[in-house]
Order: sequence, then structure tokens, then C-alpha cells
Amino acid sequence: MTCWTRRKFGCFAGVTCLASLSSPVVGSQARARVVVIGGGAGGATVAKYLAASAGTLDVTLVEPKKQYTTCFFSNLYLAGLRSFESLTHDYETLTQRYGINVIRDSAAAIDPVAKIVRLEGGTKLSYDRIVVAPGIAFKYGAIEGYDEAATQTIPHAWNAGPQTKLLREQLESMEDGGVFLLVAPPDPFRCPPGPYERASLVAYYFKQYKPRAKILILDAKDSFFEQDLFQDGWNRHYPGMIEWLPGQFTGGIKAVDVKGRLVKTASEMFKATVANIIPPQMAGELARQAGLADESGWCPVDPVTFESKLQLGIHVVGDATSAGDMPKSAFAANSQAKVCAFAIVAALTGSARLAPHLFNTCFTFLAPDDAVSDAISFKPTAGAPKISDIFISKVGENAETRRKAAREAGAWYAAFTHDIFG
Amino acid sequence: MTAKYCRGANASGMRQIIALSIAASLIILVADRSLAADNGRGAQLATVCVSCHRLDGSDKGIPSIIGLDEEKFARVMEAFKSDERSSQIMHAVALSLSDEEITILAQYLAAQRKETKRR
Repeated sequence: MTCWTRRKFGCFAGVTCLASLSSPVVGSQARARVVVIGGGAGGATVAKYLAASAGTLDVTLVEPKKQYTTCFFSNLYLAGLRSFESLTHDYETLTQRYGINVIRDSAAAIDPVAKIVRLEGGTKLSYDRIVVAPGIAFKYGAIEGYDEAATQTIPHAWNAGPQTKLLREQLESMEDGGVFLLVAPPDPFRCPPGPYERASLVAYYFKQYKPRAKILILDAKDSFFEQDLFQDGWNRHYPGMIEWLPGQFTGGIKAVDVKGRLVKTASEMFKATVANIIPPQMAGELARQAGLADESGWCPVDPVTFESKLQLGIHVVGDATSAGDMPKSAFAANSQAKVCAFAIVAALTGSARLAPHLFNTCFTFLAPDDAVSDAISFKPTAGAPKISDIFISKVGENAETRRKAAREAGAWYAAFTHDIFG
Repeated sequence: MTAKYCRGANASGMRQIIALSIAASLIILVADRSLAADNGRGAQLATVCVSCHRLDGSDKGIPSIIGLDEEKFARVMEAFKSDERSSQIMHAVALSLSDEEITILAQYLAAQRKETKRR
């Protein structure tokens, strides 16, 4: 007769047991602990690849939301082309398949000396390495009158979720002939083509249901990413519907009268029927509170390990980083997360680490069957990821090329979200 | 404190459960290998591919790459690199990979294919 003790038989209950036994163990020590803060495209990918590529790590993901709605593709929801549910993902697979401990909470403070992170709920987690992926925060007050309370009337809809639904409801209830006013933020901000894709897809919705409506973009900038592609698309699909006013014309967006839906620039006052203000941005609060952000408001990182240049032992990935030429996009966050995960695995287990491969691709819709894309590779150069090669769709491409890109975009979303959450 | 499980009559039952558990674990491990169950060079490089291509054989519009043999994969990547085959995304990816990395990736993906076929 064999007597099993719980200690000997400790991993009976978990099917991840065999993965642990079959993987190399770091000496006889306890499993190294990695805590990841934030379950977006960057944080969830780091957690998954840490757990998947080194069975010897104890991985915890801290995220307050039970489900995550992707900001990418949420403009399709605004245009009525995708359901909200299709943008929503949960963390079940990360827990069930990869054995990641997902804690529904927010980080309150990091003690980098004791290597402990305290959560809002009071839990304290000790770690060997920590990855911070807090995304963006908004600079409320940069536009006078636009604070957090104002977002309930004039949504930013730049973090997907209730804000996205609110904007959709307002667009649906807007009368034909109304003005949709979109305030675009200064650089750098999350998803460089995003505000202009939003204008394109809302125009597509208006063209069908409210053909007399107008879209006015008040920009803090004098130019924007893929501007020639967008302006060509607007002329072809929505002639006369979208007007873009650059910063040099407006003199900057100064103030908002929330109740009256009035937006004041340096020279004029604009009245909106529905307004969408995308405020200036900075790294998420935890990053700034933990001393990871510099005076720019973003977090400088090593391009090979994504370790903070300001706080050693703490890694930062995703939109919160100041990562050279890399844009703030879900694809870039996912790419950084993999490089970061393998760097941590190498540091904790002694495994080999490759030269990092960093990429970005964005699929952008001008209309449902007219999509453009960009493809950029980056190489660490002088302490930051710099563009190695860049390819962008061109004005004048044939319709079939654009239709193909639109089809590919849908397939990409399925594969990409599977890579993060599945 | 160490809790004990010494109910003699149940020992064989327990062994059956263990056997079943290990069998279940093996199935799950095989499934997981389609992602990145190791951190070798091939697995690390393949994480670049999985941002767009699923490695579990699922193909919803972006071609599956686990069905390619080593030589074909290398040929296709060379065609993307030279832009003889048109795709700006694959052109950027191919240009960023050295010949040695493409060889490693080809071997890794071919091995994944065999593993998937065994399932």
C-alpha cells in the first residue's frame, strides 16, 4: 500500500503538474514569482508567454476587470459593423490552460526594495520580477472644463467599455443634420490612426442613416499618421461630410462647455450635436506613482528587456512606455510583451535569449471594404527601438487590394486576440 | 501540517485517477505545444508569427503556416524578402529575419506540423 501525503502529492489536483515536472527546475528553490499588473494587450501577453515558456515560474496577473474589451476594432462597433460582445474577452483560458493566477484587483503601490506590490484590496504580493502594463491615463484639465465627470456627457471612448457604448448610443440618437465633433489629441497618444478611422467609420454610419450629418475634427496637431490615405478615402467615400481643422487653424483646443456641448479653440467656438473628446494622454497612474515615468509622462525602457530605465527590476510594456519609434498600439504592446517575457525567463532560468524582434502592424478601415495597413520593424539602436523598415499602403491602390486588407483585418483580429487571451 | 491519504482500499482507485490525470495532462501538453511550451530559439521566433497566424492549425483567412515543409517555408520567406511575393507585412517580417533564423523557424514549424498530425 502506498501512502500519499499531500506534500508529496501536492500537484495531483492540477493538470499543470506534469508541465512543472517535465520542465527544468531552477535548483531546488521555490518557483520564481513574476507579477504582471494590467491585463490589456501588453500585460496579458507577458503573463501568457511567461507561463507558457517556462513551467517553473509562478505567474500572477492583476487586473480589476473581469472582462477586457479591446480598443482596437471598437470603431467598427461605433459604426454598427461589429457587436460589443465580439470585442470582449475574459481571462479564463489564461487561468485554466496556463495556470496563471488572475487576481481581480488594482495595484496601489510598489515597493521596489522589498519587492512587494500592495493591491487596493489590501493583498500584498512579493515578486522576483514585476511587469507594469497600466496603459494610458488622460490629462484631465488640459482642456478646461473636461474632467472625469464630463466624460459621462461627452465621452472620450478611448478606453473601450462603457465609454464606447455611450458614444454609440449618442450617435444612434443624433438627428440627421447634426454635427459630430471629434477632438483629436496631441502626440503621443494611443493608436495614431484611431481618431481618423473613427471619423471614417462614423461617416460610413451617417452615410446610411443620417446622410445630412457632418463630422468636424478639431485637431491639436498640424498633420496626422496616414493623412494622405485618410483624406483620399474621405473624398472617395464621404465627399463633403468630414472637415478636418489642424492646430495651426484652431490655435489649439482650449475649453469645453459640457452642458452646452460647446468646444472653444483659440479663435472660435464650435457647437456639437454629439461630441467626442480624446484628451491628451500620459502613462497610467501606477507607472507615474511608482517613479517609472519621466518628465514626458511616459516610461523610458531598455529596448532589449523592457526593464525600466528609471527603476531597475521593474519592467514596463505597452502604451505606457516611451519606446523610441514604436507607436502606442496593441500590436506593439504584444510584440514588446513577448520580448519582455523571454528576457525575464532568461534572467530567472538562465535560458538563452535571442536578439529581439519588434514589430507593429495596424489595419485601418476607411470603409468596411476599404482597409489600409502599415508594417514596421524596429531594431534596438542607441538605447531605443528605432524603425528598421516601414511599409504603408498607398493612395491609388486598386479596390481588390483594399478589400483583401479588410478581409485580412478580420482574420487578424481573431488570431491576435487568440494570441493574447487564448 | 501534512494531511494523509492512507485509505488502503482506495489505493488502486487512486492509481487509476493518477493514470487518468497523467493521460489528461499529456493531451493538454500536446495541445499546448502548438503555442510556446518551450523557450528554444524556434519557439521564441515563432512568437512573432502568432501575432497573425494561429499555430493550432486553425485558419480563418490568414493562411496556416504549420502545413509548410521546411524547404517550402524557406522559399516562401525568400520570396517575401525580395518582394517577389507581395505582402507588405510579410515583407517587413522576412526582411527582419536572418537566413539562419528562417532555417530555425522552418524546422520548428515543421516539427509543430508533425506534432499536430499525431493528435
